[in-house]
This record gives sequence, structure tokens and C-alpha cells, in this order.
Amino acid sequence: MDLEPHTWLMLGKYIGAGIALGFGGVGAAIGMGNAAAQANVAMMRQPKVQSEMLRTMLIGQAVGGSPSIFALVVGLLILFVSPANPELVGGNYFAAVVGAGLSIGFGAFGSGLGCGWPAGSACDGVARNPHRSSHSTQSMIIGQAVAQSPSIFALVVGLILILTAKDGTDLPTMGIAMGAGLAMGVSAFGSGIGSGKAAGGALDAIGRWPLAYGVTLRTMLIGQAVCETPAIFGMLVAFIMMFALGDLSPGLLGFAKVTGAAIAVGFGGIGPGIGSGLTAAKACQATAARPDKDTLILRTMLIGQAVSQSTAIYALIIALTLLYVVS
Amino acid sequence: MMDPTTILTLMNTVAAQVPEAAVATGISGTALIKAGALIGAGICMGFGAIGPGIGEGFAAGKACEAIGRSPQEAGLLTRTMLIGQAVSESTGIYSLVVALLMLFVIS
Repeated sequence: MDLEPHTWLMLGKYIGAGIALGFGGVGAAIGMGNAAAQANVAMMRQPKVQSEMLRTMLIGQAVGGSPSIFALVVGLLILFVSPANPELVGGNYFAAVVGAGLSIGFGAFGSGLGCGWPAGSACDGVARNPHRSSHSTQSMIIGQAVAQSPSIFALVVGLILILTAKDGTDLPTMGIAMGAGLAMGVSAFGSGIGSGKAAGGALDAIGRWPLAYGVTLRTMLIGQAVCETPAIFGMLVAFIMMFALGDLSPGLLGFAKVTGAAIAVGFGGIGPGIGSGLTAAKACQATAARPDKDTLILRTMLIGQAVSQSTAIYALIIALTLLYVVS
Repeated sequence: MMDPTTILTLMNTVAAQVPEAAVATGISGTALIKAGALIGAGICMGFGAIGPGIGEGFAAGKACEAIGRSPQEAGLLTRTMLIGQAVSESTGIYSLVVALLMLFVIS
């Protein structure tokens, strides 16, 4: 395509920033709304400790809002930081900023949505046990911090894409930039939701059975770690595409290879991420109810999550086959 | 508000560019088919993995819940969970097979 450098630059800026903030804001908004909704229900039940709940809700919303702030930072960087040589800008710059937008947009969507569940359940937990509110608030912050890590991976990949944007226009390089963003962002979407779901289940359990606090937190952290696997696969493929891809076939074929690999590992990570989170949430509740059987439940959770992850591994295999085996 | 005839003219202009662009950049029909098969393999495995992942996670979650309620039945529950997950996995394996077919047999 023969477009002027200025056209490529502006197209990239507007589309990239639009994707970053358009998708990146959705999750945090839903998550914060969910936290506020559960805080309202909790205050209705225990109006005497409403200041405690308000504090927990605001801390939870502040932490849960940070993925959307990452998206805002990347969006503003895309809009207002121009490349060093504006006259050499081509399709590669366009693809790099659109890729950065896809990465942080979907990554922040998942983490923002996920961080809402622990915040809501923590308010509920404060209503159930006002004298143990510090337990709920502490575990909420730990759970939210882990649920945010996929969006931090997405932020890193997005910033690398913006800072290493190349001059000129060629189809495989465009595919690599957009593919790396897609692989990272969409796989982080599933992991963020899953980790959030796990933390939400754990907070709900800690609210109901506060004495099993320690063992529930352990199950939650192990479960969340497994939920992060698809995001790590996505980041692995994104880094392979950006830095470790040897000679890619020129033209349309190279573009098709990287795009196919990105779609496989990106969308393939959504299901296992959410599924592992659902498992971990139920396992946390079961552990809190029966702390004496924690190892049995932990074992079942890990077996179930491992089976759920198998499809993410198939997707990784297809992606690596596309990148390295197919001629 | 855009005039409908303007949109039609714009679409016709864009449609007229496609074959010329293909000739200008030297993209042949065979390359296009091959590229379609490669992207199709990615879509097949990517979207095909969503369902089994969520479904198996759901089954495992309920198994954990049930084991929490009656730990003495852990063996039976784990077995049932694994059978259910294996059935749920089948669509993921179909996706894998179709993706591999597109990568190595069709293209």
C-alpha cells in the first residue's frame, strides 16, 4: 500500500490509542462497579461498620483500577510521543502501535474485570466478620496484585512494541508487531479473569470461614499461579516473534504464519485461563470449609487445572509449529 | 450523515483496488490459499481451545467442591471428574487435528 508517512503515523496513533483505551477501560469499569454493588449489599446488612466497608471498597477499587491506568499510559504514549524520524514512518510503525494497543487493551480488560471480584467479596467478608476486616483487606490486596500481573506482562510487551517500532513497510514485520500484541493481550485477558475469579472465591471463603485464613490463601496463590500459565505462553510467543524468529518467509506467507500463531496462542489461552480460575475459586471455598482436607482438595485442584491447561498447550504447539516447522 | 451513493462509490473503488493490489505486490492465488490455511489453522486451534478450557475448569471446580463435602468419596469423584474432562477435551483434540491437517495435509 502506498500511503504517505504522515497518513500511516496518524492512522496508527488514532487506531492504536483507540483500541488501548476502548478495551482497556471496560474491564476496570465493570470490576469497580461490581465492587461497589457488593459493598452496597454489605452496608445494607451491617450499617454499623460502613466506614470499614467504604475503606475496603475504595482500596479494592484503587488497586483494581490500575490496569486501566496502564492502558491510559500506553494510549497517551501512542498519541503524543512521535517516532524519531517521522518522514520514514510506514506500515511497520502503524502495526507496532496497533499491536501495543491490542496488547494492553485486552490485557487490562481481563485484569480489571478480575480485580473486581475480590474487592466485592472482601466487602461482603467485612460485613460477615467486622472484627476480622484486616484479614479480608490484606488477602484482597494480595489476590488483586496477582490478578494484575497479566496486565503488567501486557504493559511490558506494549512498551517494547512502541519503543522498537521499525521504519518502512513490509508485510511480515507488520504481522510480527500486530501478532505479538494480539498473542500477549488476548492470552492475558483469560489469565486476568481466571486469577480474579480465584481471588474472588478465596475472599468469599475467608469471609465465611475466617479461621481457615492461612490455608485458603495458600490454595488461592497456587491456583492463581496456574491461571497465569496461558499469559506466560502468550508472552513467550510474543517475545519469540519479536526477538527470536530467524528468517521468516517474505510477503504474505510470513504474515500468515505469525498471524496464525498469534491467534492460536492468544485465543487458545482464554479458555484455560478462565477454567483454571473457576477451579481455583471452588477449591478455595472447599478448603476454607474443610481445612483438615486441604491437601486432598489441593491435589484435585491441581489435577483438574492441569487437564484444563492441556488445550493451552495444544495452542502453544500449533503456534510454535506455525513459526518454526511449516515451510 | 453520509450520502448512500457516496458509500457505494467508495466501496466500489475499494473493491476495484483489490485485484490490482494483488498484481502489484505479486501475490499469487496459491500463496493466498496457503496463507488462508495457515491463518485458518490458528483460528481453529485458538477459538477451539476456549470451550474445553472453561468446561474442564468448571468440572474440576465442582469436583473440588464435592470432595470438600464428602472427602471419603475422593477416589470416585476424581475418577468422574477425569472422565468428564476427557469427554470435554474431545473438541479441543478435534481442533488440534483439524489445525494439523490444515498445516500439513491441505496446504
